[in-house]
Amino acid sequence: MTGDDEEPLDPELRDAARAYHEPPEVPREALWTRIQLRRSAEPGAAPGDPPAARSPRLLVWGAGIAALLALGVGIGRLSVHVRPPLRADPTPVAAAPAPPPQASSPAAAAPGRDAAAYRLAAAEHLGQAEAFLTLFRASVREGHRERLAPATARQLLATNRLLLDSPAAADPRLRFLLQDLELVLAEIAQLAPERRGEDLKLITDGLERDGMLVRLRAAVPAGTGAAFRKGVL
Amino acid sequence: MDDRHLISRVQAGDASAERELYDTHVERVYRLVYRLAGDADQAQDYTQETFIRAFGRLGEFRGEAALGTWICSIAVSVALNGLRRGKRLRTREVALDEAASAATPERAAEPDLRDRLARAIDALPEGYRVVFLMHDVEGYTHEEIGRTLGVQTGTSKAQLSRARAKLRRALADFARG
Repeated sequence: MTGDDEEPLDPELRDAARAYHEPPEVPREALWTRIQLRRSAEPGAAPGDPPAARSPRLLVWGAGIAALLALGVGIGRLSVHVRPPLRADPTPVAAAPAPPPQASSPAAAAPGRDAAAYRLAAAEHLGQAEAFLTLFRASVREGHRERLAPATARQLLATNRLLLDSPAAADPRLRFLLQDLELVLAEIAQLAPERRGEDLKLITDGLERDGMLVRLRAAVPAGTGAAFRKGVL
Repeated sequence: MDDRHLISRVQAGDASAERELYDTHVERVYRLVYRLAGDADQAQDYTQETFIRAFGRLGEFRGEAALGTWICSIAVSVALNGLRRGKRLRTREVALDEAASAATPERAAEPDLRDRLARAIDALPEGYRVVFLMHDVEGYTHEEIGRTLGVQTGTSKAQLSRARAKLRRALADFARG
């Protein structure tokens, strides 16, 4: 049998082969978070439990991420255009009886209902962001090295971008706040382990300088973000 | 770090040992499943599933191969099973697409070498493709491939040789040009 040393590929082909499905950088932290969450959700995880089940601090970050995922899915569903149901019955319009008020009102009220839902989703998101940044700042002050912070920031960033692309961003004040928040979240999401010290200082200095937490608290009606706070703080 | 020592720390519930095990092997696992899947979402799913299984089955690790090889064997199994499931689902869609695009003219431009090679690699039989990607693209030795896939070293060499021959044939006109 021909061994691999006898008939290697032409160098040109070999180089081209290395470009086949070339992997990007490994999303190490995000994957670790996913693995921890999956394992902590599995029944009978008592012996050899994942770290999330043993460390209360990691658990609260994990609970926060789960809450964010749920919110992101909710906003994603809102983004799907609401269409009136197709008529199965091809009855001519002239011959059709007038629809009862209950049947027509939900469709007519849909835009208003959607706007309210977006406002609620935005308030929930801002509440979660405020809780996250408060915890993040406190962790930095206490000298903790939170490994899950970048993963949480990425989840918040995803929701933030959904909201920026949604009708919620039609409000200029909210849009500016979401845009500023995006910068802060992107900085935390990209925290590199080897440069954490100086990066953390830049981020927390930026938080103070921009008054981000104050602006978030002013924008969040009392009571929103409670689910995340319950998990995180 | 000795595999046995690391495994016993993980089994004793040492969280830092779990992270250490993950950090040591995640790069290799992710690269391998990404090469097989060619899709970031799928690669993340397969990597996650690999580590879930590896942590859950550490007690079954007998030390006959290196821990990394054992984890890679789980990764290949997870990825190939996932890809087979996806392929079954896609088969029906492709049949419909082909019917719809029967009248679409062929692309006029000659695809470049990378595109042609990618299609030729996709068309390889699964066993050939896995061995080719592991050896020629990711740099595994035949011994590692044999232990990962549970085949003889000679089988790995034979499959690589056939994979290369098929690729050469598929790209013969390109080489002449």
